[in-house]
Amino acid sequence: MSGGLPKALPSTGPHSLRDMPHPLAGSSSEEAVGGDSTPSPDLLMARSFGDKDLILPNGGTPAGTSSPASSSSLLNRLQLDDDIDGETRDLFVTVDDPKKHVCTMETYITYRITTKSTRVEFDLPEYSVRRRYQDFDWLRNKLEESQPTHLIPPLPEKFVVKGVVDRFSEEFVETRRKALDKFLKRITDHPVLSFNEHFNVFLTAKDLNAYKKQGMALLTRVGESVKHVAGGYKLRSRPLEFAAIGEYLDTFALKLGTIDRIAQRIIKEEIEYLVELREYGPVYSTWSALEGELAEPLEGVSACIGNCSTALEELTDDMTEDFLPVLREYILYSDSMKSVLKKRDQVQAEYEAKLEAVALRKEDRPKVPADVEKCQDRMECFNADLKADMERWQNNKRQDFRQLLMGMADKNIQYYEKCLMAWESIIPLLQEKQEAK
Amino acid sequence: MEQAAPALERLLQPAPLEPLGHPDAGLEAAVGEEAEGAQDEEGPGDRTMTENNFWLKKIEISVSEAEKRTGRNAMNMQETYTAYLVETRSVEHNDGPSVLTDSLWRRYSEFELLRNYLLVYYPHIVVPPLPEKRAEFIWHKLSADNMDPDFVERRRIGLENFLLRVASHPILCRDRIFYLFLTQEGNWKEIVNETGFQLKADSRLKALNATFRVKNPDKRFTELKHYSDELQSVISHLLRVRARVADRLYGVYKVHGNYGRVFSEWSAIEKEMGDGLQSAGHHMDVYASSIDDILEDEEHYADQLKEYLFYAEALRAVCRKHELMQYDLEMAAQDLASKKQQCEELSTGTVRTFSLKGMTTKLFGQETPEQREARIKVLEEQISEGEQQLKSKNLEGREFVKNAWADIERFKEQKNRDLKEALISYAVMQISMCKKGIQVWTNAKECFSKM
Repeated sequence: MSGGLPKALPSTGPHSLRDMPHPLAGSSSEEAVGGDSTPSPDLLMARSFGDKDLILPNGGTPAGTSSPASSSSLLNRLQLDDDIDGETRDLFVTVDDPKKHVCTMETYITYRITTKSTRVEFDLPEYSVRRRYQDFDWLRNKLEESQPTHLIPPLPEKFVVKGVVDRFSEEFVETRRKALDKFLKRITDHPVLSFNEHFNVFLTAKDLNAYKKQGMALLTRVGESVKHVAGGYKLRSRPLEFAAIGEYLDTFALKLGTIDRIAQRIIKEEIEYLVELREYGPVYSTWSALEGELAEPLEGVSACIGNCSTALEELTDDMTEDFLPVLREYILYSDSMKSVLKKRDQVQAEYEAKLEAVALRKEDRPKVPADVEKCQDRMECFNADLKADMERWQNNKRQDFRQLLMGMADKNIQYYEKCLMAWESIIPLLQEKQEAK
Repeated sequence: MEQAAPALERLLQPAPLEPLGHPDAGLEAAVGEEAEGAQDEEGPGDRTMTENNFWLKKIEISVSEAEKRTGRNAMNMQETYTAYLVETRSVEHNDGPSVLTDSLWRRYSEFELLRNYLLVYYPHIVVPPLPEKRAEFIWHKLSADNMDPDFVERRRIGLENFLLRVASHPILCRDRIFYLFLTQEGNWKEIVNETGFQLKADSRLKALNATFRVKNPDKRFTELKHYSDELQSVISHLLRVRARVADRLYGVYKVHGNYGRVFSEWSAIEKEMGDGLQSAGHHMDVYASSIDDILEDEEHYADQLKEYLFYAEALRAVCRKHELMQYDLEMAAQDLASKKQQCEELSTGTVRTFSLKGMTTKLFGQETPEQREARIKVLEEQISEGEQQLKSKNLEGREFVKNAWADIERFKEQKNRDLKEALISYAVMQISMCKKGIQVWTNAKECFSKM
């Protein structure tokens, strides 16, 4: 999207629900469930909203990456989980159609959440609800509470950092929509989180606020028990693999922070370059007005520089809207992962402390008391969940960054291609001989 | 050298002190001389020869080296300056080998002296400009230091260009002082100064006065002056903004170099992603360093524009000369008219115009008839002289306009050709830059795809 004045929001999203073929249309549910192990390309297309291209099985680049639409959709693309590979997808969630609501007390944006599923947990095959950012925030908090042993994907930043950014501008809303869509898709892909009660309600409830007020009626056992873990236990020794993960995340977040700063600096320099270009081009026009034979060539150069300026503006807009937010998301992601690691440490510490307490009691009971056993259970569950999630995360991270960086390269290639075309087209004009003298 | 020199000497006429005479006669003489042994490329009045000029066929000029020197200046203070090696080669036959005929060292101030001399003796010619005295329109990476090797190199090219332009000018190339500049190292400055050209130069004040007071300049020159003012203004603006653009572009490319480092550091903690990141980082380094060559090439484009920025000044000088001559003419005509009037009044006894003599006569009494007769006689002599002068000034003026306009037409063609070439080469530079960019990012993309 090129920059400009903030535009009014569209009243309908890019795709109407009617236009989208149901992923399982044309076949009975039983057939679909027991059918091909890998979803057909059509299913892939319909599932990922707004995508116009495929991710090929061998991981190659989708065709048609030169069009802006596909470039940005590349960044939103989620790869199929390794775990789910071979299984049929039975849950599809999409975020689209942002709308502005003006009330007496406040103005806010809602997004349409479309869910299609064959799971028994869903009463209907299709749902369409509207949610606002604070609903997503609520969902994330609930997930963190109820699934503390899992890595919960991050949300886009709550508050707008600079006062300059208009939170109702089309660019900002679109960036946020993409991030929210990604958030839900990551949950959808998760074998445990996608079955979470709160997630279900979020997707289906007509009145979410009423449900919110009901309180935490549906906590799972694990969640409840972990909630009661007191802090303050000192960890004896962290298992190597979790120590490694912690160190990795530290360095990872650091490097991402650096990349974020570099990217911001590049955009800043490019904008300043653009400002000068916008003054540079018109001077050739002014000169052209003085000349006779040189008038056309000079005017041509002026127009050419103008085209390059426009291409540069598109590049900086794209980088700001598509590249930076994803970087920041991953920084948030690794931050929240670090806190899950800390919780794991706490669970292990508690177990170790209780074990030690039993040993110190010097009782001859060979049997380990029940509550210590429960602690051990808790710890081992936590470790297992976390390990599985880390692997999944690593895989997804790899795919996400692959696409993000390829997208960045793509945008730069497109920029240079536009400029190249402009300059090549002007050569014949410059070489033209004037007949009339 | 012995063989070539007499031939060259013969071909050159000594610098005419009054270049305004019958213009075609001068050219025909030159044509006559060159017809011997050379192809007759021009007819009388044909001003369009440049590369086909007999000079360039016989002579190759180059400023091939620059050397730092120290010496003592006029005030006996030690100074450092750069000297440039001017080499002249003569080509016996069209495609034959060139033989080095002359080789001497000149410094910038001597080039300036040569040009100032040409300005005075050829006021009807748009005299080619010298490269800039000091580095202007610089951006942060360029040095403002006159001793900086890049500046010296660009100046060397500019000085060579100047000599080639003079050598390819149909009239300037025949100048003796120019010939001596190329062939006689020692004593050249003295010879130039002996021509007394500094004394012949029009004073700034006189020229300014004329510009304001001239009543009837040739409209074409007025338009041309206006054009040269505008041209100067627009090219200055262009060069200033271009320097800023270069600065910013430099920044954009260089910051990308940071990606190289951070990708390398990041790749150290990754397993499968590591190789792709590392090699992509390398391409980012390549990208960042590519800007140096790109912008160095662009400086040549800037230099081409600068030459025409300075040419605008030369155009203005020709217009000013015309205004001065025209003003001179108008003043002479006015003076003559008033003298004639005086004469008439004295003869008929009527006083229509104010004159000091008239006033004093009124105050101190009538003059005698003898006195009046004497005055009339003096006036008549003056009138006769004045009429002669006016006639020759008129002729001079017309000759000047004719010659100057011919050179201006020649200049216009040259300018259009040169600037078109400059724009084309600029576009080619941009195309090359875009292609390099596409290449680098395509390589990086491939590395990312292997992550």
